[in-house]
Amino acid sequence: MYVALHNLLHDRLRFALNVLGVALAVMLVLFLLGLEQGLRLQVTAYLRQAPGSIAVTQAGVDSFGGGSSLLPPGLEEDLRQVPGVAKVVPVLTQTAIFDLHDKKIFAFLIGYDPALGGGPWRIGEGREPRERGEVVFDRVLARLHGVRVGDTVEVQGQKFPVVGLSEGTASWMTALVFVRKADLESYLLTPGLSSLALVTPAPGVAPEALRARLKGLPGVEVWLKSELIESDLRLYQAFFKPVRLMSLIAFLVGTLVVGLVIYSATVERQREYGVLKALGARNARLYGLVLAQALAVAALGSLSGILLGFAAARLVLALRPQILVALEPGVVGLTLLTGLFMALLAAWLPARLVAGLAPAEVFRR
Amino acid sequence: MRTERAATLRVQNLSKRYGSGETAVQAVKGVSLEVSPGEIVLIMGPSGSGKTTLLSMLGALLRPTEGRIELDGLVLSELSEGRLPDIRLRHFGFVFQDFNLLSALSALDNVAIVAELAGLGRKAARARARALLEELGLGARLHFLPEQLSGGEKQRVAIARALVNEPALLLADEPTANLDSHHGHETMRLLRRIAKEQGKSVLIVSHDARIQDIADRVLWLEDGEFKEMRSLATDPVCGMTVEREKAVSAQWEGKSYYFCCRGCREEFLAGPQRFGKATT
Repeated sequence: MYVALHNLLHDRLRFALNVLGVALAVMLVLFLLGLEQGLRLQVTAYLRQAPGSIAVTQAGVDSFGGGSSLLPPGLEEDLRQVPGVAKVVPVLTQTAIFDLHDKKIFAFLIGYDPALGGGPWRIGEGREPRERGEVVFDRVLARLHGVRVGDTVEVQGQKFPVVGLSEGTASWMTALVFVRKADLESYLLTPGLSSLALVTPAPGVAPEALRARLKGLPGVEVWLKSELIESDLRLYQAFFKPVRLMSLIAFLVGTLVVGLVIYSATVERQREYGVLKALGARNARLYGLVLAQALAVAALGSLSGILLGFAAARLVLALRPQILVALEPGVVGLTLLTGLFMALLAAWLPARLVAGLAPAEVFRR
Repeated sequence: MRTERAATLRVQNLSKRYGSGETAVQAVKGVSLEVSPGEIVLIMGPSGSGKTTLLSMLGALLRPTEGRIELDGLVLSELSEGRLPDIRLRHFGFVFQDFNLLSALSALDNVAIVAELAGLGRKAARARARALLEELGLGARLHFLPEQLSGGEKQRVAIARALVNEPALLLADEPTANLDSHHGHETMRLLRRIAKEQGKSVLIVSHDARIQDIADRVLWLEDGEFKEMRSLATDPVCGMTVEREKAVSAQWEGKSYYFCCRGCREEFLAGPQRFGKATT
């Protein structure tokens, strides 16, 4: 290992530049993985936080965020009659366009009954809606558009007083805005209708068993909530794919950087590797030397890249708070593994070069 | 210095052929040789005579096409490829013309790494390397990088590296070629000391006729075969060793001078006083 380090540190400026190159690639990988994870968390935030473990949608609707669902009238009562159902929370949803400072802003309205739940899970400021027309606005959306508690926002000519600001409800597409279900019914002219029913099984009743019982209800689709989350994620695959492609490109760039660093370092010291081979070093030992160099560059580059990734995520949060870059331990772990894989891949070609050296060449000049 | 174990190299009917059919080149033809413990054997010969090929085969770096190489009773030519690195590591010490030190490592680490390759722990390897380098007068240069050492010092580090695993045989390829006259003599004396005091066999391949002074035996290799030792001279212009019988010659101030080619002769004749002290 010390030979590898001496080889690398012989030219410190070049070593630093090499580490920086890897760090930038790793930062990009981490940032993009975090961005994808953030997108996933944002598009599934409501379902993950909403009460119950079973979700009922209109028949043929296979997503919460992407489909328009209207449940048959009276379904909530039917659901409550099924043995094993402890609680039913109906919600009505609709995409709406707010007029904020002469700008049209998309938001996802969620109409819920504050007495039953299904509303904001964390209120940073203010309170839940109690009176007619009151709304809880997403805090990030509010900050971006200068909306404060006590202000009034307008949707298609109707005014809604803002009584609270919710947290964890921001989104790069459509932030969540909560309103009383009765008010949304009135606004949409759909009295008594719901888009989704969230069902909590009674204690001791398995969600899968309850779902089987509910499947017989007409005109609806019954999901385990986790299945509906997966279904929503499949719907957003189209958004994730470009991010993944960019992650892959960043990974390839990183691998190329480490590969070029190690390859050029190996070619430069080709004769020295030949000398070691002539003196009696086995190929395995020389592979180890090449790999140690690749690992050292990749390890330092990865650690620096992760620090840079966190800094970039903070910067994005400050500049574009609606974009979530979720650098969770799993994402960081995956990035470290990516760095390790970069090193292994990058060491492969130089290792082959070393393996092909003829020890007798050491006597040739 | 320590007393070392004796070693004898026996080579019988050794040949090396490159390629096959009409394009085959016979680099070494049926060479036989024996080197006793403590003996210094110098192999000389013109360029392309097969010296490097022979040295590579003797050092287990290149497999012979035919023949037998025996070192310390171990028949190298019959060993599998996988065993040769260990043999090179423990039974041979290599000294190269270009020193071939690892540029990123200090003098101490350049020597210690070879002991580590042979299985010695880092601390013990460095202790042994330190002792050897101090013995060779490099105690003050232990932590210098090769680029900070003179040619003579580099060659002494290379000799220490060759000795660190206490090999039976030292193989030296043009050990004085990149050194000035003073350091060349110093290296020659050192190799002689190693042979005579430690009982190691030393086999040197060189063009440098000065090495004849320390050699116990001089062999002439030509066209891949050992031939009768020629009468040699040094080209006063380029320093190459040449056979008097085959060389281009010139007379100046009553003395004969021998050259490797007409170009050197003409350069000499254009200003002989510049080369006047050369060996005739």
